[in-house]
Amino acid sequence: MKRAAAWILACVVALATAPTAFAYLKLGVRQGSRLITLRWNAMPIRYFITNRDVPNVTAPQLRDAVGRGFASWAAVPNVTISSEFVGFTGFSPVSGDNATVLGFSNRPELDRVLGSTSFTVDTVTGEIVESDVFFNSAFAWSAATPGETDRQDIGSIALHEIGHLLGLGHSMLGETQLFSGGRRVLGAEAVMFPIAFSPGTLNRAPRADDIAGISDIYGTDTFRNTTGSITGRVTKNGSGVIGAHVITFNPASGRLIGGFTLSQDGTFTIAGIEPGPQLVRVEPLDDGDIASFLDTSLNIDVDFRPAFYSRLVTVPRRGTSRSIEIAVVAK
Amino acid sequence: MRSLFLAAALMLFVSSRAGAQPYVGTASPRVGSFEISGGVLSSGGYDAGSRSALESPNSTSTSAPPLTLFTTTSRVARATGAEVRLGIFVSPRISVEGTFQFTRPVLQTAVADDFENAAAVTAEDTLSSYVAGGSLLYHFGSGRFVPFVSGGGAYLRQLHEDKAELLTGSEIHAGGGVKYWLGARRVGLRLDAQASSRSKSIAFEQKRRVVRVLSAGLVYLF
Repeated sequence: MKRAAAWILACVVALATAPTAFAYLKLGVRQGSRLITLRWNAMPIRYFITNRDVPNVTAPQLRDAVGRGFASWAAVPNVTISSEFVGFTGFSPVSGDNATVLGFSNRPELDRVLGSTSFTVDTVTGEIVESDVFFNSAFAWSAATPGETDRQDIGSIALHEIGHLLGLGHSMLGETQLFSGGRRVLGAEAVMFPIAFSPGTLNRAPRADDIAGISDIYGTDTFRNTTGSITGRVTKNGSGVIGAHVITFNPASGRLIGGFTLSQDGTFTIAGIEPGPQLVRVEPLDDGDIASFLDTSLNIDVDFRPAFYSRLVTVPRRGTSRSIEIAVVAK
Repeated sequence: MRSLFLAAALMLFVSSRAGAQPYVGTASPRVGSFEISGGVLSSGGYDAGSRSALESPNSTSTSAPPLTLFTTTSRVARATGAEVRLGIFVSPRISVEGTFQFTRPVLQTAVADDFENAAAVTAEDTLSSYVAGGSLLYHFGSGRFVPFVSGGGAYLRQLHEDKAELLTGSEIHAGGGVKYWLGARRVGLRLDAQASSRSKSIAFEQKRRVVRVLSAGLVYLF
């Protein structure tokens, strides 16, 4: 199937309850009024690869791509992630079999879904006990190191799906353009952006936003001792804005890290930021389907203009900035 | 720094040769005289770096330019502040003094060219800058107008707004000025102009920067 653009959907399905994306990039479950981050507690994460080839990508090539994907996340400084390839299996990647399986599966009815990740979680602790990833073999795939024209790069999509498997939600650090068949990505600065680059384009390295997210879940004390947070509120006509995308930009390093306002009062907190002054920008969630990012039961407001906060916000080491309020206006 | 010490040593040597020259004035400094001065200062601004917020392009071409989300240009604006100095004459022409300066410069980041047409803004951060150090002064001539040259080093401490983050560094400075003694010549006016070379300073590109510092104030000799 040849497409100008395709969706990557994190089909976040838990057996006991449907997890809600919260905090910024993280997935979680709601426990009463509490939100619990999903994460693996037992390391290494042991996984199988479905022993099924697709044109241009064999099962061993998928194994290698998945191995590189895990290695890329594990290579983020100051995180504790490890994984172990157990072996090939004849099983498909489906939930509930107590085995974490990644593999190809033919799902032609999902004509916008390149890959999907599902979970079995302990809804009390948030521990992920099983996760399965399928790559839709209805699309044309490539495992070639330089990529192949008109074929999706399995390494790029595996890195994204393994990000979900580890507990990351979607990032909105990307710009898109609407066209008749959907959205086309113009640029993105996160592996976890929900819409894939065009076939043949590579996206194989976690960016600052991805790194902040994975570090927030699996970061060591060193990570927490060397970074800080920004907290604040986005308002429109004096009321909180829910679903606003908040970006921090470090003018020294150029690093972009994003988060969302996730409550009715428009508050947000973005962790994992380098100490020092940051620019803060707010934009509506308009570069993808809202359902790709947040619980659609939330009353997401996309009717406002992008805006910058008028002060530089200094992030302290091991601490949180003073709370800021960013007022936006309707379009 | 080493060359500065050599220069200081040379000045000491020269002063010992010239020490017999009389200081004209009813309260001429002698070895052990103290001098205290204070006043206002102006610290020059400097370019603090430029950087754009970039996103990886959706292109199979490795030479495709990144998508620019917005651009930033930063600058630390000129600031006014206060300073105090306490000196002691080690010879009629040479004094050693300790200096403390405080300014509140503003770090300004101008944002423009937003991809989604967000209004351009200049985001600011008001800093607190402290310089504590010492200088060696060599005075020329005598009379009401006393020109001098100076050089020294200091510890630099700068804090961001809310004192949330700290930067420390060192600076060396060289310059000169003039003292104009009034009336009984214990009280005078003092003007200083210095070039302050700072190992670090709050900016988005870390490099040694030279900052112009001008100060004016009163001086009292006792």
